[in-house]
Amino acid sequence: MRSRHLGVTARMVGVLVVLGLAIFPVYWMFVTALASDEVLFGSDVNLLPDFSRLSVFGEALADGQVVGWLINSLIVAAGTTVLSIALGIPLGYALSRFGFRGKTSVGLALLFTQMLPEALLVVPLFAIFRRFDLLNSLHGLILADTAFALPVVALILKGAIDGVPRDLDEAARVDGSNPPTVLVRIILPLIAPAVAAAAVIAFFSAWNEYVFAVTFVFDKSLQPASVGVAGFIGEQDTSIQSIMAVGLLFTLPAVVFYLFAQRFVVSGTTAGAVKG
Amino acid sequence: MNGRKGGSRLMARSPASEGQPTSAPTPSRRRRSRAVGSPWTPYLFLAPAVLYIVVFQLFPLVQEVWLSFTRTTLLNPNLNVWVGVANFQSILSNPSFQQTLLTTLMYVTACVVGSVGLGLVVAMLLNGKFPGRGVARSLVTVPWAAPGIAVALIGIWMFNPQFGILTRLLKAVGIDPGPSGVLDNPQMALGAILVTTIWQLVPFVAVVLLSALQGVPQELVEAAQVDGAGRWVIFRVVTWQVLKPTIGLVAVLMTIWSLRRFELIWLMTRGGPSGSTRTLVIDLYAQAFDSKQLGTAAAIGMVGIVISLIVIIGSQLVARAAAKEA
Repeated sequence: MRSRHLGVTARMVGVLVVLGLAIFPVYWMFVTALASDEVLFGSDVNLLPDFSRLSVFGEALADGQVVGWLINSLIVAAGTTVLSIALGIPLGYALSRFGFRGKTSVGLALLFTQMLPEALLVVPLFAIFRRFDLLNSLHGLILADTAFALPVVALILKGAIDGVPRDLDEAARVDGSNPPTVLVRIILPLIAPAVAAAAVIAFFSAWNEYVFAVTFVFDKSLQPASVGVAGFIGEQDTSIQSIMAVGLLFTLPAVVFYLFAQRFVVSGTTAGAVKG
Repeated sequence: MNGRKGGSRLMARSPASEGQPTSAPTPSRRRRSRAVGSPWTPYLFLAPAVLYIVVFQLFPLVQEVWLSFTRTTLLNPNLNVWVGVANFQSILSNPSFQQTLLTTLMYVTACVVGSVGLGLVVAMLLNGKFPGRGVARSLVTVPWAAPGIAVALIGIWMFNPQFGILTRLLKAVGIDPGPSGVLDNPQMALGAILVTTIWQLVPFVAVVLLSALQGVPQELVEAAQVDGAGRWVIFRVVTWQVLKPTIGLVAVLMTIWSLRRFELIWLMTRGGPSGSTRTLVIDLYAQAFDSKQLGTAAAIGMVGIVISLIVIIGSQLVARAAAKEA
């Protein structure tokens, strides 16, 4: 009905402008990576990619250091995902299905932790990590990143479990199943999409994490890609084309996964914020 | 319904069962709820995660609170001299910290207004019927999915003083950012950071508002049209009423996220030039790692937390008052 007023054409133009603005910077990374020096530093702007130079991505991947960064990021992100999901599922289940003393406090604490900046906690965490010999290691980063992913993951999963009818639990319990069995056999299969969304959020919160990674890891060989890519800023030795190629290799996994899981991720993020 | 079979155990529903189609909680049910299994069962489920959050978030936070009342340097972090509220007195009376507060206020306000306003426009655009709607709704989220580090990288390149495409664009419309570029121009750096931030936030807001827009009852819109109401009236009377709670929620989220945003600003400007993009978190990090004053840094962090808390509690009060009115 509304389209009659605005007109489909006008709406299409508006949508195309919005999409252009949304995609252009990432597209521009791609165009820049493929541009020759003459084009890049010339006086005219060339808006189209030069596909004859696609080898710049191969060269970026042939650089052992870049591959090392990406592998380190992959390890940290995968570890954070597994740990935060493993801890978040029972917490979400308890918050959704049980009444107990201190429940409100736990819910409030989960919301409260989401406003703590990493830059604030990095100093005391550094001291703790030094004492337990967790500095300069990927598993140390996994532990730190999980602390920030876990509250969001738990709230998403709590929201999802809230949506599973309790009759199913009750029926299984009447049949003699104990709570862990109910959780694993009945509830988890039903909330699989929410678990996937929570996993995407946890994975990329660790993939993108910078403050802990730059503070806790000293060895160049253990740096994740966030620190590696940020290290290009202000550096003069690497060509802008290579920097953009590496930046794009670091960006694409996040963009692809979010496009794929977008609906769940957005509803999960707000569910966590609304329901507590 | 399995009411009979469940027996007294069914009475033991937790408050979390609110909103369940089957539960319809009565007052007596809501309060005294004893969960199934042993009373220890819920604690067994939540103990690992709660312990984790206590160790890795609450314990460090308590240390920061304590640090904020001490004089401590990064070079000798175990030597803490208790100074009471001196750190707070000194930052609050420091003109450069007052500038930080003002910059933070401007940055957060502009982020919230810009992202919610533009997000609403984008959501309304995407809410209609047009070919390729599904693809458009996915592609529009690209900025939100891109990692902050990559966004900073491309931002720096697009604002490059000589070859950046946005610098060329600005010059083409007659705005000269000067030889060292937009990000090094005290009048323009905050604007550039804001454009980059809002670019990244708008898709998130738009997608959230889009799903709220689907809850606008079409019968009401059509009835209003039959009565000859204009588009603006329909928006104000119908659409806006449905969107209001969601907009409130998103605005709070944007506020909290913007108060703690770090990488984007730090990597693009490090808080400069001449402090024009120095928000609370940037100031906190610089105090801890550049000036090595952990006590002052902690005090700055506490100011940020208090502001966040005020925003959250204030929004809860407003939401509650609005719910009562309705």
